[in-house]
Amino acid sequence: MLVLRRRAGESVLIGDDIEIEILAISSQGAKIGIRAPRETVILRKELKLTQQQNEAAGQTLAKKDFERALEKLRA
Amino acid sequence: MRGMAQVETHYFGTMAYREDSVFDFPDGLPAFVHEKRFIPIESPQHSPLLFLQSMTRPSLCFLALPIQVVAPEYRLGICREDLVALDLAADRQPELATEVAVLVLLSVHDGLSATANLMAPIVVNLKTRRALQAIRQDSVYSHQHPVPRFMEQAC
Repeated sequence: MLVLRRRAGESVLIGDDIEIEILAISSQGAKIGIRAPRETVILRKELKLTQQQNEAAGQTLAKKDFERALEKLRA
Repeated sequence: MRGMAQVETHYFGTMAYREDSVFDFPDGLPAFVHEKRFIPIESPQHSPLLFLQSMTRPSLCFLALPIQVVAPEYRLGICREDLVALDLAADRQPELATEVAVLVLLSVHDGLSATANLMAPIVVNLKTRRALQAIRQDSVYSHQHPVPRFMEQAC
């Protein structure tokens, strides 16, 4: 992972059209601003992880071995 | 049965339910934003396991456990925005069991080992039945917390 040290008011550029600016830093965390093309998807990582976990969780009951286990439970 | 409505489910057939048992997710769940109503299905032989059945998609049914079962020492960390959305006091964390029910969704992986998403528990306001998946903004808990001996518990 590339690690950079930036102060409030400073930016980094990713490729030609994405800019990430550090707006403010406090003990609560860093406030960042992102400039990117409209079609770029920007998500908090936790949300992406939760979407992926939910997709897996939504298929859990459909798993073959689990369905067998459920049948056993019903019997 | 009077006062009971019915819902179609893939795994349990047609089920009767009480309207006041429905969990109401105004914003759905991440990856399932159109699923806004779920019913919790409990059955004694699966306890403490809980099935969260979508009322609009019969094939969508989550497995869940009360958070106390998975992590007895769990400290709630619901952000202000989510507390407000749940009509809860925004200046403190709610009390488990009296104000809110907190459930974690399970994923069963190959070999039937399971993990629970402790980073984003389902929080239900017990008074209004309003619910959401409250994604923590810290990184104290894992989104893939192992749940050992899951099948033994479930069976």
